[in-house]
Amino acid sequence: MSNVNENVNEKLGEGVGFERIRRITGYLVGTMDKWNDAKRAEERDRVKHGLSDND
Amino acid sequence: MIRSITKRDGRVVLYDQNKIAAAILKAMEATGAGDASDAARVANAVQSDLEHRGPDQIPSIEMIQDTVERQLMNHGFGETAKAYILYRANRTRAREAGTSLMKTIDEITNIDARISDMKRDNANIDGNTAMGSMLQIGAAGAKAYNEMYLLRPEHAKAYREGDIHIHDFDFYSLTTTCCQIDILKLFHGGFSTGHGFLREPQGIQSYAALAAIAIQSNQNDQHGGQSIPNFDYGMAEGVAKTYRKTLIRMITEALEDKLDRDGLKDQVKELIQDVEQTLGVTARLENAPNFDKAVISMICAEFPIQPEAAGKLLTRARKRAYDSTDRETYQAMEGFVHNLNTMHSRAGAQTPFSSINYGTDTSPEGRMVIRNILLALDAGLGHGETCIFPIHIVKVKEGVNYNPGDPNYDLFRLSCKVSARRLFPNYVFLDSPFNLQYYKPGHPETEVATMGCRTRVMGNVYDPERQIAYSRGNLSFTSINLPRLALESQGDEKRFYQKLTEMMELVAQQLLDRFEIQASKHVYNYPFLMGQGVWLDSDKLNLQDNLREILKHGTLSIGFIGLAETLTALYGHHHGESPEMQEKGLQLVGFMRDFCDRKSQEMKMNFTLLATPAEGLSGRFIRMDQKRYGRISGITDREYYTNSFHIPVWYPISAYSKIQLEAPYHALCNAGHISYVELDGDTAKNVEAFEAVVRCMHDAGIGYGSINHPVDRDPVCGYVGVIGDVCPRCGRREGEMIDPKRVMELKKQYPEMPAFQGIE
Repeated sequence: MSNVNENVNEKLGEGVGFERIRRITGYLVGTMDKWNDAKRAEERDRVKHGLSDND
Repeated sequence: MIRSITKRDGRVVLYDQNKIAAAILKAMEATGAGDASDAARVANAVQSDLEHRGPDQIPSIEMIQDTVERQLMNHGFGETAKAYILYRANRTRAREAGTSLMKTIDEITNIDARISDMKRDNANIDGNTAMGSMLQIGAAGAKAYNEMYLLRPEHAKAYREGDIHIHDFDFYSLTTTCCQIDILKLFHGGFSTGHGFLREPQGIQSYAALAAIAIQSNQNDQHGGQSIPNFDYGMAEGVAKTYRKTLIRMITEALEDKLDRDGLKDQVKELIQDVEQTLGVTARLENAPNFDKAVISMICAEFPIQPEAAGKLLTRARKRAYDSTDRETYQAMEGFVHNLNTMHSRAGAQTPFSSINYGTDTSPEGRMVIRNILLALDAGLGHGETCIFPIHIVKVKEGVNYNPGDPNYDLFRLSCKVSARRLFPNYVFLDSPFNLQYYKPGHPETEVATMGCRTRVMGNVYDPERQIAYSRGNLSFTSINLPRLALESQGDEKRFYQKLTEMMELVAQQLLDRFEIQASKHVYNYPFLMGQGVWLDSDKLNLQDNLREILKHGTLSIGFIGLAETLTALYGHHHGESPEMQEKGLQLVGFMRDFCDRKSQEMKMNFTLLATPAEGLSGRFIRMDQKRYGRISGITDREYYTNSFHIPVWYPISAYSKIQLEAPYHALCNAGHISYVELDGDTAKNVEAFEAVVRCMHDAGIGYGSINHPVDRDPVCGYVGVIGDVCPRCGRREGEMIDPKRVMELKKQYPEMPAFQGIE
């Protein structure tokens, strides 16, 4: 870490995606690739719950 | 003249009348009617019947069997004909099961898990790995066998056709679901994993390591997740041992420096032991003036040192021992979390599903454990990744950690801060009346603990003296397809309740059948769970004993899915939409609970009602119902049925209303329940707002609650939070590279940035 230029690949980040952690039946799952189709659909449909009662 | 027949696979083989006679004789023997000559007579009649029907045709197997049935009836062997028909049906089912098993194995072998939904049935198993595939093939084989040989035909039919779902069906004949592992009891005197004996641990590092091993060992004896109900109380002992050792070391070193002497350790150790024996206490983290006074006077008596100097020396030693123990505890907690995220069990294909409950131990050692496990969770894994395991569950209790001024209130606040960032901890609320009824201060075993997934085991009809969380768990559970019952009743409420009662009876019987299989197992089948006394009363059994009686401490649970769709099918809308429907919903779920309570009293076993955690199930029922009934708006028009009693995930509602509406179902679903609130990223970052939601759950009488919010991470710059299309820290889009100069700037700005990067 002393010299960033030595450690860093020229193409740092290329092809690297973001991780998206979600909860499924109580457990967290690191990526959604391993989820089954129904649970993926359910995750897609989830709406946020507002904190005031007018939301 | 018949010379040949066509087999099922299309091959033509020579006709042999003896084979027909032999099959008929078998059926006759099975029903105790007729003999060999009768069989030959019927076989002759079969042949002439066939010739009569088409003298030049080559008959098929099916045609021959139809003829046998007919001729058996003609000859007055009605019972035998029935047996023959049943035998044929069974053979057909076996054949079909065999074919579909081979198809399933073919899919597991050849299709990528990203394409095969079946291979993603359990998100914790990677179906693309060798051991993952082996596990899935084994499961497929076990399911085919269990359906053929272990289920009553009516149960097999209900399961096959999607009236019910028998969970963990691959393990039907093998084991039970889960257990809350009392680690204090397990550690005392040491234990054996089944692969070697481990001595009683002597410090926090080994306590934490052994806790992980306990979870892993038990995971191999049961098919569900594993949980520790008393993580803080259990680890606190380890902290106390580490602190005592460290204090002796620190006093020794300070004395050796002061007196310029070596080798005082044994003398100091004896000195502390003497004080402990005289006062009847052990050296503890908390300040103990009497203890300290006694130590100081002993030091002065044994060494040339003045009381004032000895006092200063002890104070410094205590401070250093505290700091050192605190650091060691953090490392131990960090190691524990890393361990549980990387260890594998079950043929190496799964990380153990693990949960830990904590939050109510107010001793200084317990508090040190709670604080450090939360800090380790907050820090994340090596590159700052959010830990997937274990599920952390904070037990919330008024007078302990809920209100300002409570001894552990600071830790409750810390837990909110961590959960707002890392999705864990979840919260179990001990003040909700259905949990409070068991609570006895000073008896942590009466504090409700939960499996992370939601399984809850507290009441005990079998042994009312032992209504405790420790050393018990679920035996098995089966869920009912509620929306289908509603669809079949076509809006007729009375008919619906009749069908529901019948279905619950069927499930109760099936659970009892499964219990019979489980009850006939022996202690030696579960070397850790039963052999090491983890399960309640298993320590009173011998290796050869069967488990019937002690298993009755566990629960048999009837679950359900899709209350929202059920109400919509019966009455037109769901319980999020009107108070009337909420009343109907509570009536329905209350009806199911009453059934379970009655069954419990009748059998003196723990039948409980479960708000099923549906993973594979969420899509299975609805796919079948779409085929039967088509896509009906609000009922079968999505890819999943709504979980248990939840307000549908797609229905817009405030957090407050959702909590209020779902709380009463927690009281009814005594086998386990959970409510989720979905917050957006910004709200979750606001710790006050986060805590307000947790407090709202507590006050509404929620049993177990959890707050979801998006947690994304950019592995390149290490940012954790909400990431839309563009990472807010480094500014790249998914898959884009980032300028090395920019990385240097970022590293200056965020010294905690991970060292990775790039090639993972």
